[in-house]
Amino acid sequence: MAGHGLLLASLLILSCFAETSFGTVYFSSLQRTLIVTASPKQGQVLKAGEDKITVNWALNTTFPAGTDSAYKTIKVKLCYAPASQVERGWRKTVDDLSKDKTCQFNIVARPYSASNKSFEWTVERDLPLGTYFVRAYAYNSEDAAVAFGQTTDPHKTTNLFNIEAISGRHLSLDVTSICFSAFSVLSLFGFFWYEKREAKSSQQK
Amino acid sequence: MEVETTVKDSKSPNFALPVDSEHKASVFRLFSLAKPHMRAFHLSWVSFFSCFVSTFAAPPLLPIIRDDLNLTTTDIGNAGIASVSGAVFARIAMGTACDLFGPRLASASLILLTAPAVYFTSMANSATSFLLVRFFTGFSLATFVSTQFWMSSMFSAPVVGGANGLAGGWGNLGGGATQLIMPLVFSLIRDLGAAKFTAWRIAFFIPALFQTLSAFAVLLFGQDTPDGNFHNLKKSGEKPKDKFSRVLFLGVTNYRGWILALTYGYCFGVELTVDNIIAEYFFDRFNLKLHTAGMIAASFGLANIVSRPAGGIMSDAVSRRFGMRGRIWALWVVQTLGGVFCVILGRVGSLGASVAVMILFSFFVQAACGLTFGIVPFVSRRSLGVISGMTGGGGNVGAVLTQLIFFKGSRYSKETGITLMGIMIMCCTLPLTMIYFPQWGGMFCGPSSTNKVAEEDYYLSEWSSKEKEKGFHEASVKFAENSRSERGGKVDSVTSRVDETSSSPNDV
Repeated sequence: MAGHGLLLASLLILSCFAETSFGTVYFSSLQRTLIVTASPKQGQVLKAGEDKITVNWALNTTFPAGTDSAYKTIKVKLCYAPASQVERGWRKTVDDLSKDKTCQFNIVARPYSASNKSFEWTVERDLPLGTYFVRAYAYNSEDAAVAFGQTTDPHKTTNLFNIEAISGRHLSLDVTSICFSAFSVLSLFGFFWYEKREAKSSQQK
Repeated sequence: MEVETTVKDSKSPNFALPVDSEHKASVFRLFSLAKPHMRAFHLSWVSFFSCFVSTFAAPPLLPIIRDDLNLTTTDIGNAGIASVSGAVFARIAMGTACDLFGPRLASASLILLTAPAVYFTSMANSATSFLLVRFFTGFSLATFVSTQFWMSSMFSAPVVGGANGLAGGWGNLGGGATQLIMPLVFSLIRDLGAAKFTAWRIAFFIPALFQTLSAFAVLLFGQDTPDGNFHNLKKSGEKPKDKFSRVLFLGVTNYRGWILALTYGYCFGVELTVDNIIAEYFFDRFNLKLHTAGMIAASFGLANIVSRPAGGIMSDAVSRRFGMRGRIWALWVVQTLGGVFCVILGRVGSLGASVAVMILFSFFVQAACGLTFGIVPFVSRRSLGVISGMTGGGGNVGAVLTQLIFFKGSRYSKETGITLMGIMIMCCTLPLTMIYFPQWGGMFCGPSSTNKVAEEDYYLSEWSSKEKEKGFHEASVKFAENSRSERGGKVDSVTSRVDETSSSPNDV
């Protein structure tokens, strides 16, 4: 027991060193110790600003006890699936977590506790159109990521859902645009007509 | 018969500024609004500024727009290219329109006809519609030609470089100002409660309204020439109606126009390209906030407040001592240095160094634009508009080319694209060595010593003997006299050069 404890403690200390000495955390170094599930089914379309997602996360009990002793906070995020990352460099997946742009939207951040956790989130109004999944990161007391869990498989092919964005257009805006445009063009012709009239009347004088 | 208009009277009506024989102002007073000269200056730069604000209103908001319209990198690149390609032909058309109808009507018409494209940007809902609105909005950049034409009509040779540089530079400022204005307007509207995807749409009404109002100002307060509007001058017979086909032919067959079109593509064209890519570059590479990236991108365009005018003034200053040859040399040196700094910009990796190099780069590239239009007014008198249009159009071609080659799709990272663009700048500036004016010389050769060409010979060769019989060439004669200052040195308009050009002094 003492031997286990010592081994675990030294492993933890070493892993802390590894992260603090390099400063950067790599996604590939994180263990997938959390089980994360979300209410949307594969291919379901959610409306931005209207629909809700229920997220559940818990520690995967197949891992040895004490795995989660370093976890201080959990941050659950909404992440782009590969289909929405194609030809969009500003959503690129990079192993260095400080440069990674896969997960740009925060769903919830909570202090870590071992029991089952759940959260209901209304899909934000300003989310762009795309295909998504949910991922949760566990952070230690230095706010460095140490573990994660996600709703999809490691290749990000299963269990993806879509979000339908608002267009941002309104009828009133469209009507205003058309009116002002018409005004610009008509005023130009109005001006020409006026100048012609002036020229004619000055000729007659 | 009452002669009500003052134009008939060749003893000039009282102008607020001292004028030459063509009634062009020979001094430039920045803080005056006196008609017609300074008023024309302020109207032209403000209206041109508004067109620049509209054309580059989208780039600082791209991080929002790309999510709303679900754009890919290719879509964004294509829209950027579209925004500058419309003006290629619009500028040439504008040049001809100025020659035929006058800068006031030509520019105001274009501005009012392109304003709808800016209003319709708020209705864009796909990559295609976005590309179309940017394409048609970009046509308004042709007002550049009318500003240069207008300034060349209002200001005489010793100050025309500075006038052109200030009008062009302060108009170009719009490309920088918009990077500040649009994120600010967007934040304001969003803070008032609008969704992000609605706020950017509303924000576009600001540049659109500004554009409409500035066109009204030009129509109401502007005047084509010191003596009046083209319309009135044609009616009174002072300005003969010129033949479009002849004007166009003379313009396109003047090889100097083509060389300047090419080189302008690598100062102004590069400036347009950078306006399109720089905000996204800083936002993505250095992980900045939208607002911060916008401010840095803005400083590139804002340098125009001094850099382009400095180029024009430098051109005039160099010409006083070295004439036209000095103007060409100065342009070559400054533009090549712009290329050098562009190469360096692509290589530096830290934020601070990038910003510093970008500012240096902006200064040289924009000064080169000002220097170019210190030369353009002298290439042709009859086809001034066409030459201005060709050069201006060439600027846009350069923008299209550089974006197509270096910034479309994911072939080159933006940093590599910037470096390669710098190398292309240096190469495409070399043709300046081939420009030669028989009466003044070129970079490596003095004026023609065998033929003793005078300014009149050069400018009057644009008119046929029939046209000369009818007296159509009068304006060119005056211009030729006034352009003798391009010989440089402390030369009196009567004496001829006695330095390295002629081997034996002749009787004059």
